Amino acid sequence: MATTVLPRPKAYDDTFFKPISIWLTTTDHKLIGIMYMVTAMISFVIGGIFALIIRLQLSQPNLRLVDDSTYNQLISAHGVTMIFFFVTIFVTGIANYMVPIMVGARDMAFPRVNLLGFWLIPVSIILYYCGFFTGHALDAGWTGYAPLTEKAYQSHSLGVDFWAMSIIVWAISGIMASTNFLTTIVALRAPGMRFSRLPLFVWAQISTSILLLVVGAPLAAAMILLEFDRQLGTQFFTTSGRPVLYQHLFWFFGHPEVYVMILPAFGMISEIVPVFARKPIFGYMSMVAALFGIVFLSMTVWAHHMFTVGMNTYVEGFFMLMTMLIAVPTGIKFFNWIATAWWGSIDFTVPIKFVFGFLATFLIGGITGIYLASVPVDTQLHQSYFVVAHLHYVLFGGSVFAIFAGIYYWFPKITGRLLNRTLGEWHFWTTFIGFNGTFLIMHTLGLEGMPRRIWTYSNEAWAATNIIITISSFLIAFSVLLFLINIVHSWNQGEIAGNDPWQGNTLEWATTSPPPPYNFERVPAVRSFMPVRDLRESGELIEEPPVVPAPV
Amino acid sequence: MSPIFPEPVSPNGQGIYNTYIGISIVAIIVFVGVEAALLWVVLRYRRSTQPAGYVPPQVHGHTGLEIAWTLAPLVIVLAIAGYSFAELQKDFQPISHSQMLVVVSGHQFGWDYEYENGVVVHQEGSLTAEVPAFVVPTNTLVKLQFRGTDVIHSWWVPAISGKTDAVPGYDNFSWLKIDKPGKWRGECAELCGTGHASMQIIVQAMDKSDFDAWMAKQKESGATPSASPSPSPSK
Repeated sequence: MATTVLPRPKAYDDTFFKPISIWLTTTDHKLIGIMYMVTAMISFVIGGIFALIIRLQLSQPNLRLVDDSTYNQLISAHGVTMIFFFVTIFVTGIANYMVPIMVGARDMAFPRVNLLGFWLIPVSIILYYCGFFTGHALDAGWTGYAPLTEKAYQSHSLGVDFWAMSIIVWAISGIMASTNFLTTIVALRAPGMRFSRLPLFVWAQISTSILLLVVGAPLAAAMILLEFDRQLGTQFFTTSGRPVLYQHLFWFFGHPEVYVMILPAFGMISEIVPVFARKPIFGYMSMVAALFGIVFLSMTVWAHHMFTVGMNTYVEGFFMLMTMLIAVPTGIKFFNWIATAWWGSIDFTVPIKFVFGFLATFLIGGITGIYLASVPVDTQLHQSYFVVAHLHYVLFGGSVFAIFAGIYYWFPKITGRLLNRTLGEWHFWTTFIGFNGTFLIMHTLGLEGMPRRIWTYSNEAWAATNIIITISSFLIAFSVLLFLINIVHSWNQGEIAGNDPWQGNTLEWATTSPPPPYNFERVPAVRSFMPVRDLRESGELIEEPPVVPAPV
Repeated sequence: MSPIFPEPVSPNGQGIYNTYIGISIVAIIVFVGVEAALLWVVLRYRRSTQPAGYVPPQVHGHTGLEIAWTLAPLVIVLAIAGYSFAELQKDFQPISHSQMLVVVSGHQFGWDYEYENGVVVHQEGSLTAEVPAFVVPTNTLVKLQFRGTDVIHSWWVPAISGKTDAVPGYDNFSWLKIDKPGKWRGECAELCGTGHASMQIIVQAMDKSDFDAWMAKQKESGATPSASPSPSPSK
């Protein structure tokens, strides 16, 4: 059947530089997805600059590069920016772009909710950074433990209020996005796209959305109660109230949030490995089951952040057991990925390099998680640099490596152009070496007794390790610079990708790069969880003429 | 750089240390095994080293294998959890048979140690200067009762044991029993404000006779609770 290629609206061209009115008013999930991702990348750079200042201050004992108050604001801003404004936002963005296409829909179920949900994010970010213009931003860490955030200890500081407002807005946006994803996936699937044929990235987005729907509200509740304390004089979390209640509310959100950041990463890995190994995913059903096992378990583990507050040892034992059980579904996923690659014919391009970087480093984060789950051992390691190393292994070695893999994988679909491979190889190796150089030896600092969140130290024994960490952290900064150069360069004049540069399995590879506003001229038939591969093998894949993107 | 804790000097610290070593044995085996599998995949299944036209077997799964690698981690974590829980019951229960009680209260920014006879040691925050030592007799089971007077602090001397939070509103407990004289350092482990890094801790263990002499000197100099300044409200 001959298909007619509909002309594209002129304003909707493939370049990033569209009229501002389009960016401000679009309800297209792809443009909103790009805005999410660009916002997140800006946050990544800002949060990274905070990290470099922190590392310079800690590079040697007794430095006075920044003072104690500034340092506490920097670590808080680094955590808030990276967790709330970078990783979560980026994975939301990439899902916003890919999920409707992967299920064969034209757009999200509620495009205008999508628009509102996205624009709440810049509002949230600006609200948070307003704190810096009041002279005193949040300085109690990204967790903002009460009573340190209470009026009695922060009487002149509006920074805490701006942070609380920012997080409330952020939570509302997250709930909107989650509702939208779930409705889209349930209601707008293409004919033939049964639940048992959903791509694993879409399954990951279902589990992430359920998680964020459940835990977003308690986070907002914690912030609202904190604001009641600060503005109305209630005593929920004050010195004479119940400070530990704040920790329960915060971590009931805070621990699942870890999975909000890592489950989409799991989804991306599950998409990328089969494509590059030329094998179907190993154990599709157990991959889906593992996702929901993680969703359930992650809501029963929050108090493992509180093993030193003095709980009953049986309660501690429960949270220890549930925490360790997360290793089971995570282990299933991990072994299934290895089994998918086993006997494969792996083409070692940049995306799959980042996938193996993810597997090699995330494993370390998972293993150190077992140490931290063990209550006795945790009382030693808690709030030390061991924890900082662990959380960066799961968030950077896990989520961020997967995000980079996802970017190299989907950039050709989003822009129509491939990222430069040489720069990509350099980016991968500098990231991998810089990351491990920074965080591997950081574990030992915690074991030697260096607490996290101290702005300086006088112990000379920690000096050598700290200087190595600081130097390695600048290698990460260099790698990010290479990455940004690659993005700008390739978006402008990268090699034209064509519709399906990797011979992908899922529906996004059946349409043009970038896809038209309505995503598909004709939604392809879906006969398995690898619909495009089926079509390619049966010779039914209609090669639409590749769109030549306009230069930026 | 040390992959293990400082040598523990208190039995509860020793218990934690043993748990840490126990987990490490399993952890290292799992780490080496899985990383080796990853390395094998990376080296063995490269397209560039395979014969042209190699089509990988289209395996969709294997129930037996999937059950195996569900059960194997389950058994491992149950074993680790059980082992950790035994240690938790042994060394982390509130104790009733202590030979000495010290009330440790944290404030912005320092620690106060109040002995049963009313003597108080003040460790006021300092980044560089030596703080006065919290002195305990050797071979004595000392119960530590923690109190927070403003925000949450966490008392941590790595060579003795794990952390115990000093939370306002209720008392938290830990204990120590040191066998040999010596001095050990630690610091506050819960971000408590601008002076967090200055909340240094020094614990000194002395033989019983030395301890009694030290205590007599403290009584003379009048370090009583009434003489202690109340924790200053934060600026």
